[in-house]
Amino acid sequence: MAELNLHAALPEIWVAVSAMVLLLVGAYTGDRAMRLIGLLSMLVMGVAIVAMLGIDVSTVPQLAFNGHFIVDRFAVFAKVLALIAAMASVWMSFSYAEREGMARFELPLLMLLATLGMMLMISANDLISLYVGLELQSLALYVTAAIRRDTVKSTEAGLKYFVLGALSSGMLLYGASMIYGFVGTVSFAGLSTALSGATEPSLGLIVGLVFLCAGLAFKISAVPFHMWTPDVYEGAPTPITAFFSAAPKVAAIALFTRVLVDAFGGLTPQWQQIIFAVSVASMLLGAFAAIGQRNIKRLMAYSSIGNIGYALVGLAAGTPQGVSGLLFYMAVYVPMTLGSFAVILAMRQKGQMVEEIADLSGLAKSQPWLAHIFAAILFSMAGIPPLVGFFGKWMVFAAAVNQGLYVLAVIGVVASVVSAYYYVRVIKVMYFDEAVTAFDRVDGSLKLVLASSLAVVVIGILFINPLQNSAIAAAASLFPE
Amino acid sequence: MDVAIVALPLLGALIAGLGNRRLGDRGANWITSGLMLVSFVLSWIVFLRYDGNPRVTELFTWFESGTFEASWAVRVDQLSAVMLVVVTTVSSMVHVYSIGYMGHDESKPRFMAYLSLFTFCMLMLVTADNFMQMFFGWEGVGLCSYLLIGFWFHRPSANAAAIKAFIVNRVGDFGFALGIMGVFLLFGTVGFDAVFAATPEKVGQTFHFLSWDVDILTTLCILLFIGAMGKSAQLLLHTWLPDAMEGPTPVSALIHAATMVTAGVFMVCRLSPMFEYAPDAKMIVTIVGAATAFFAATVGLVQNDIKRVIAYSTCSQLGYMFFAAGVGAYGAAMFHLFTHAFFKALLFLCAGSVIHAMSDEQDMRKMGGIWKLIPWTYGLMWIGSLALAGIPFFAGYYSKDIILESAFAAHTGAGTFAFWLGVSAAMMTAFYSWRLILMTFHGETRADHETYHHVHESPWVMLAPLIVLAIGAVFAGFVYYDKFVGETMEAFWGASILFAEGNEVTHHAHDVPTWVKLSPLVVGIAGIALAYLFYMFRTDLPARLAGTFGGLYRFLLNKWYFDELYEAIFVEPAKRLGFGLWKGGDGAIIDRLGPDGIANVSQDVARQATRLQSGYVYHYAFAMLIGVVILVTWYLFGSGW
Amino acid sequence: MNELLREYLPVLIFIIVAAGLSGIMVIASLVLARQKPDSEKLSPYECGFEAFDDARRQFDVRFYLVSILFIIFDLEVAFLFPWAVSLSNIGMFGFWSMMIFLGVLTIGFIYEWKKGALEWE
Repeated sequence: MAELNLHAALPEIWVAVSAMVLLLVGAYTGDRAMRLIGLLSMLVMGVAIVAMLGIDVSTVPQLAFNGHFIVDRFAVFAKVLALIAAMASVWMSFSYAEREGMARFELPLLMLLATLGMMLMISANDLISLYVGLELQSLALYVTAAIRRDTVKSTEAGLKYFVLGALSSGMLLYGASMIYGFVGTVSFAGLSTALSGATEPSLGLIVGLVFLCAGLAFKISAVPFHMWTPDVYEGAPTPITAFFSAAPKVAAIALFTRVLVDAFGGLTPQWQQIIFAVSVASMLLGAFAAIGQRNIKRLMAYSSIGNIGYALVGLAAGTPQGVSGLLFYMAVYVPMTLGSFAVILAMRQKGQMVEEIADLSGLAKSQPWLAHIFAAILFSMAGIPPLVGFFGKWMVFAAAVNQGLYVLAVIGVVASVVSAYYYVRVIKVMYFDEAVTAFDRVDGSLKLVLASSLAVVVIGILFINPLQNSAIAAAASLFPE
Repeated sequence: MDVAIVALPLLGALIAGLGNRRLGDRGANWITSGLMLVSFVLSWIVFLRYDGNPRVTELFTWFESGTFEASWAVRVDQLSAVMLVVVTTVSSMVHVYSIGYMGHDESKPRFMAYLSLFTFCMLMLVTADNFMQMFFGWEGVGLCSYLLIGFWFHRPSANAAAIKAFIVNRVGDFGFALGIMGVFLLFGTVGFDAVFAATPEKVGQTFHFLSWDVDILTTLCILLFIGAMGKSAQLLLHTWLPDAMEGPTPVSALIHAATMVTAGVFMVCRLSPMFEYAPDAKMIVTIVGAATAFFAATVGLVQNDIKRVIAYSTCSQLGYMFFAAGVGAYGAAMFHLFTHAFFKALLFLCAGSVIHAMSDEQDMRKMGGIWKLIPWTYGLMWIGSLALAGIPFFAGYYSKDIILESAFAAHTGAGTFAFWLGVSAAMMTAFYSWRLILMTFHGETRADHETYHHVHESPWVMLAPLIVLAIGAVFAGFVYYDKFVGETMEAFWGASILFAEGNEVTHHAHDVPTWVKLSPLVVGIAGIALAYLFYMFRTDLPARLAGTFGGLYRFLLNKWYFDELYEAIFVEPAKRLGFGLWKGGDGAIIDRLGPDGIANVSQDVARQATRLQSGYVYHYAFAMLIGVVILVTWYLFGSGW
Repeated sequence: MNELLREYLPVLIFIIVAAGLSGIMVIASLVLARQKPDSEKLSPYECGFEAFDDARRQFDVRFYLVSILFIIFDLEVAFLFPWAVSLSNIGMFGFWSMMIFLGVLTIGFIYEWKKGALEWE
C-alpha cells in the first residue's frame, strides 16, 4: 500500500506540469498567445486521453499515492468523457473570446486546471483527495465565470457561484468531518469495509452523509442545491457556460457515484432515499421551471438540472445496470449540451450576441442547417426515438424499473413529457415564427462542434452497443465481485 | 381473362388517379374508357362462351389466422358471368358518356379514376369466392359511392348526401358484418362452397338468446339481408338513395341504378343455398321487397326533380327484385336485375342528357316543350320508359311479368301480398314514367328564355352509349327470357343458384291464370293513359287533386316523412348525446381535468418555480440549508428514528 | 463511547471550561457591579473621538492583492518550519516533496511578477 505508483497518475501529472509550463509561456508572451495556449491546452488534454487509455485497468484498479488515488475502468470512462467535453469547450471559446474582449491567455489555462481538478475528483479514493480535486476544479471555475470582470453580469455570476460554492464546500467538509468522526477513516476502502457490517448506522453518520451529499449535489446542480445554476449560466460568458454544463457535471456525478456506491455501498438503502428525493425534485423542477423561460441560456440551465435528475435515476437504482445507464446517459448528454451551446454561440445578429429564444424565430429559413441541427439535438434531448437521447433515458428508467422504483420511472417519464414541451417550443419558434433578423455567418470552429454533435445524435444510434458495453464494464468496476 | 376483367379497371383507376396532372384530362378519359371497353368485350366473351363449369382463379392469400382463411380469387360461374356483363356494359357506357357529360368539369381525371375504382370494387364483389372478398368489394363500392356522391365537394348538399349515404350504409354493413362473423362462427369458414355444402346440416339448429330459442340460419340470413337492405336501399334503409342524386348523373346511372344498388339482390341470389333453408328469412325478404316497391312508387308519383323520380323508380324496381328472390324466383330476380340495368341506366343517362341540355336544370316544373329540340334523347327516353313500364316486347315486360307471376304462383301469404302491391306499383310506375316524359318534353315550355334558347342535342359521345343501352333495353328481355327463367333455367344457372326441393315457383309462374298474366300490362297501359289525361289534356287536374287530397299529397311529397321520422328518432337524440358528451364529457370533464387542466397547472407550477429564483444569494443559501434540513428530517422520520 | 471520540475528550473539556469561564465573567459583572448607565458611558469609544466617516469606503484593490500574496508566501514559510525541523526523519521523500511544493509556488511567483501584480503603479 505504501507506495507512490506514480505511473497510474501519469496523465494528471502530465496535465499539471503542462499547465504550469503553459502558465510560464503565457506569462512571457501575454494575451496575444491566447489561441496558441488554447490549442496547446487541447493538445495536452488529448495526450492525457491517450496516456489514460494506456493504463492497464482491465483486471484490477491501479492505486497511487498510497491509495488516495484510484484508476479503474469507471475512472477512465468518466475522465475520457470529461476531457473530450473540456477540449470541445476550449475549442468553442476562441472566437467568442477574441470577439468579446476576453481573450486572456489565462482562460484556456483555467479551463485546463479545472479539468485537472475534475480528473482528480474522478480518481479520488478518499475524502481528502476528493476535497482537493473538488476545490481545484471549483476555484478555477469561479474565476472563469467572472472572467469578463468588466461586465456586471459576469462578475455577479462569478461572485454568486463563489459564495454559494464556498457554502457547499463548507457543508461537504462538515459532512466529511462527521463521517470521519463516526467511522474513523477517510479512505473509501476503509469506509466500505467499516460500513459493510450489517449494524444499524449511527445518526451522526447519516447526518454526515446528508451533508456530504448536499455538497456534491451542489456541484451537479441537483435540486434543492441548484439555485445558482440559472443565474450563473445566464451571467457567465457563453463558452464558459457550455464548459460548466458539460465537463464538471461528468466529473461531479462520477465522484458522487463513486462515493456512494464504493465508499457507502453498505448504506445503500439510506442514500437511495436521498438520491430518490433529489432526483425527483430535479426532474420536476427542470421540467416545469424551464417552461416560463425566455432566455435560451437559462432554459439550458433548467434543462441541465432536469438532465441531472434523469441521470440520478440511474444512481438511485444503485445497481450496476443503473450506474451503467448513468454513464451512458452522461455520454449522450455531453455532446447534446455542447451542440446546443454551439448553436447558442452562433446566435449573433450584426456582431452582437443575442440570447432570447424569440431571436431564433425564422431560423429555419435564414439558416436551415443550423435549425435542422438544433432541432435534431432538441428532439434528442426531449427523448424522441430513434435519436440517442431516447436510449439514454430508456436505460436509466429501465434500471429503475428493474429495481422496483416504479414511482421514480413514472415521474421521470412525466417530467420528460413536460420537458418535451419546451424543447419543442424552441423548434416551433425556429420553424414557424416569422423571422426577425438573420444571424451572422457561423464560425468555422462552431461548425465542427455542430457537425460532431449532430453526428452523435443521429448516427450515434449505430454505436449504442459498443458504448453501452463499455459503460457496463466501467460500472462493473465499482461493484465488488 | 377472368383476372384481366377485374384488374383492368383498377389499372385505369391507378393511372388516372395517380397520374392526375401529367396525364391531362384527355389522357385520363381515354385510358380509363379504353381499359373499361376492353374489360367490357372480355366480359361478353366470358359470358357467351361460358361452359357451365364454375371456375375459380386463386390469386393469393389475404388472411390466414388460425382456422380463418380468406384469399383473393376470381370466381366465374353463371351468376358472376351475368353480373360481369351487367357491370362492365353499363360501366363502359357510363365511362364513354362521362367524357361528354363531364366535359366542362375541372377534375375529370379524378372522376374517371373514381368510376374505374368503383368498377373494380364492384367486380371484386361479384367475383368473390368467399365472404371476406365480397365484403371488401361491398365496402369498396360504398367508399366509391361516397366519393362520387360528394364529387362536387364544394356543395354542402353533396357532402351531406355523401355522408348520409355512408352512414345509412354503415347500418346495413353492420348487419352484414355480423352475418359474416356468424357464418364463421357457425361454419368455421368463410368460403362460399364450404359454407353452402354445410348449410343443410345446420337446418333447425337454434341458439338461446334472452330466453328465446332462435333459429340460427334464419338469424344469419336476416343479418345478411340487413346488409343487402342498406346497399339496395330497401324500406327503412332507403333514405340515402334519393339524396345520392346529388352526385353527377353518370354516377347515378352506374352506381345508384344499374350496379351497386343491385349488389344486395346479387348477394341474396348468391346466398340462395342459405336462404333456401331459411323460409322465415325469405318471407321477410318478400315483405320488405314488396313494401319498398309500393312505397317508392307512391313517392315517385309526386316528385318534381327529374332524377329523384328515377331514383324512387329504382328503389321500387329493387323492391321487385327482392320479393322475387323472396318467393324463391332467383332467376326472375336476376333477370330483372339484368334488364333493369339497361333501361334504368338508359333513363338516367337520358335524364343527364336533358339536364345537360337544360343548363343543369333538374326541376321538371321548369322544363317542357323541348322534344323537338332534342329528338334523340326524347326517343331514347321513350324506349327506356316503355321498358320500365313493362310494355310488351321491351325488356321490362318480360322480367316484371315473370316476377309478378312468380309472386302469385308462390301461393303464400307473403307472395300474394307482394303480388298485389307489385301490380299497383306497376301502374304507378307507368304513370310517373309518362308524367316525367310529358312534363319534361311536352306542353308549353316553362323554362326561362335564356335556358330554352340554349337547349341543344347532346354530342355523339353521349348519344352513342345511350343507343347501346337502348339496344339492351329493347332486346335483353326476349333474347334471354328462356335462359334466365324459362323451362331450362336450372341448366342455365347450374350450381350458382340453388333451388331447394320443391321450389318450383318459376315453373308454376308460367301456368298462372290469364288475368294474372295480363294484369301488369293492363295496369301499365292504364297508368300511361292516366298520365296523358293529367299532363296532356286536363293539366288542371293534378293541382286540383293535390288540393282535394292535400294531406295525402304532402305525405307523398315528403316521402312518407321518413327523413323527419329518422331525424326525430335517431339523428336528434344522437346529436344531443354527442353534443352533451362533447361539451359536458369531453370539454368540461376530460379537457378541463385532462390536457387543459394539466397545461394550466404546469403553467402555474412553472410560474411558481420561476419566482423561487429571486436572484438573492441569501435566498439561494437558505434554500440549500432548507434542503439539507428536509433531507435529514425526512430521512430520520422515514427510517423510523 | 467510541475510542476515536474519547481522544477528543480534552478538547471538549476545554470548550466547556472556556464557555463556562466567559459566561461566569459576564454574568458576574451583571450581578455584582453597579449598573448606572448614562449617554457617555453607552457611546462607543468612551475615550476616543467620534467617527467622522463611513467605515465602508472604497480603497485601492491592490491592498487586497498584496495581502493575499503575502498570505500565500506566509503560509509557505509556515510549512517550511515543521519541514525543516523534521527533515532528518522524513528523508529524501520529504525533501523532494517540499521542493515540488516550492517549485509550484515559484512558478506562481514568476507569473504574478510578470503580470505586474507586485508593481504599485
